Amino acid sequence: MSDWIAIGALAVVAVVIPLSMMFISWLIRPSVPEQGKRATYESGEVPTGSSRQVKFNIQYYMVALLFVIFDIETAFIVPWTVIFDGAVEEVGFAQAFAPMAVFIGLLVVGLAWAWRNGAVEWVRSARAERQRVE
Amino acid sequence: MTEVTTLPDWTAIAPALALLGTAFVLLLADMIDPDDSNGTALTGISVTGGLVALGFALWYLLAGTGQPGASQEPTEGAIELFGDALVVDGMSLFFSVIITSVVVLVALASHEYLREHPYQAEYYSLVLLASTGMVMVTAANSFVTAFISIELVSLPSYALVASLKTNEGSVEGGLKYFLIGALSSAIFAYGIALVYVATGSLQFGAVEIAIADGVGFDSLLGLGMLMILGGIAFKIAAVPFHFWAPDAYEGAPAPISAFISSASKAAGFVLGFRVFVDVFGTATGVFDWVDAFLILSIVTMTIANFTALKQDNVKRILAYSSVAHAGYILIALAAFTGSVEGEISILGAGMAHLFVYGFMNTGAFLFIALAEYWDVGRTVEDYHGLGNRAPFACAAMTVFLFSLAGLPIGGGFFSKFYLLFATVTGGQELLGAALIINSVVSLFYYTRIVRAIWIEEPGEDLEPGEYPTGLYAAIAVAALATILLIPAFGFVIEYAEIAARMIGG
Repeated sequence: MSDWIAIGALAVVAVVIPLSMMFISWLIRPSVPEQGKRATYESGEVPTGSSRQVKFNIQYYMVALLFVIFDIETAFIVPWTVIFDGAVEEVGFAQAFAPMAVFIGLLVVGLAWAWRNGAVEWVRSARAERQRVE
Repeated sequence: MTEVTTLPDWTAIAPALALLGTAFVLLLADMIDPDDSNGTALTGISVTGGLVALGFALWYLLAGTGQPGASQEPTEGAIELFGDALVVDGMSLFFSVIITSVVVLVALASHEYLREHPYQAEYYSLVLLASTGMVMVTAANSFVTAFISIELVSLPSYALVASLKTNEGSVEGGLKYFLIGALSSAIFAYGIALVYVATGSLQFGAVEIAIADGVGFDSLLGLGMLMILGGIAFKIAAVPFHFWAPDAYEGAPAPISAFISSASKAAGFVLGFRVFVDVFGTATGVFDWVDAFLILSIVTMTIANFTALKQDNVKRILAYSSVAHAGYILIALAAFTGSVEGEISILGAGMAHLFVYGFMNTGAFLFIALAEYWDVGRTVEDYHGLGNRAPFACAAMTVFLFSLAGLPIGGGFFSKFYLLFATVTGGQELLGAALIINSVVSLFYYTRIVRAIWIEEPGEDLEPGEYPTGLYAAIAVAALATILLIPAFGFVIEYAEIAARMIGG
């Protein structure tokens, strides 16, 4: 169990160092409470409104998810193309080609389903339409 | 075996392929008209797919696929696929039968339950994808396939628990399940990494050989085993990893509670059996997982049963009852002896209990689905007098509850008796005493529900609503199976012991 003692000692040190730093600075620092110190830091600007006002359109998330389909596809296709010629000589065309065809087929079904269910249609907000200036 | 022709090896995973194919057929069916789902067609496709998978699994199990032939040793005959990443043996087929049976019941029962659900095709295809993952877990023969299959079970389950998007309880349950699930997946993956460091392999057979030869990093191996134990304890909802279970089961649509508490638990246990008995069977000196499971088992059944006593919500009572049953089944691991003959009866008892539990627990949750369909309410008081209104469903519920308690009205009596016998075989008298005491405690809250249904007077006039065909059919099938498992129990235990012999031997 000797190697565990070393790990335990490191864990103790890892906890003790930050705690002691916080404790010592609390002991020796002067305490000057001031309004400006408590304000939210926004690059020198006066903070306006709540940070919860910043809203992202959920559709960006859908686009990112659809991107993952192509991302994964690339990650698998590239090594497959690199060894494809050798694999055809080794096991024949069907054995080398069919697994990738099945894989892409499954991805295409997923993409087609998402498309058909309106994942790539950009929903327009009614308010934005009203406020639009041509 | 004197078969004239045999199917190619890859067809051994046909149950998983059937479930996967059905999930994609459902997505294609949804593409025809995404805005207006035809519930009957979707249920029909799901039930058919589940039945095909069940048919394959049963056929293989009975035909002896992946099991030792007449001329082979009892531990031989497993079909290994994809460079030993998957293995189809007696245990994987036995558990595939449990899982696909639950899928068929759940899909059938969801038909009326989902009548106003806007995303029916997605719901069914997520159920089928999760069950594909569960069937893959039963066949996983390396830590990589095990981890990926577990994730394939977990991710659709999170979405399914939260699938009632406008219901706060459902979303809250889904979020809690997701957060705790993500944490335990991370712990599980860390455990796998440590075992890999210690043994230099991820394939179960190779890890087993490396451990038998002796590894230089015993402490890393032990820590890895502890973390893997934690990951599995989350899947089976054992104390202290059970906190998600009552909230997730309560918030989820009731058919999904049935699905997760029966099928997902079975998938967690199959991994536990394979990893600990088969792979880490000789590593008890490194990390005494038998004692760890012993503590886990006693603590799980005791805490869950005593918490269930205090609940008023019927779904939460059943949630804690399912946690308690995880404790009972853990006996199969906690009474591990290391001797081959003892191991067969002990493991076999655990597997047989999971088989019976799959039907009786699913049935009990489907009864709650029926009550939710009628808007009866959620507490025990709301169930007062239901027996007058729906005598058949209530009789079935009585069978489920008393079978869960271990009374000789359903197969649960024999499977619990075998578990008790297993504690004697394993020489764990303490475990046996805990099992008996907890069964007595559990009888209190099961009886409370039965009493509410049959004896108490209804508080207000219950209008007899329409009788949902699919839900009734699913409850009837589950009740029939629970009762038929009394005469058929010898048959179940026989196959469970063949399965146990293959991994325990």
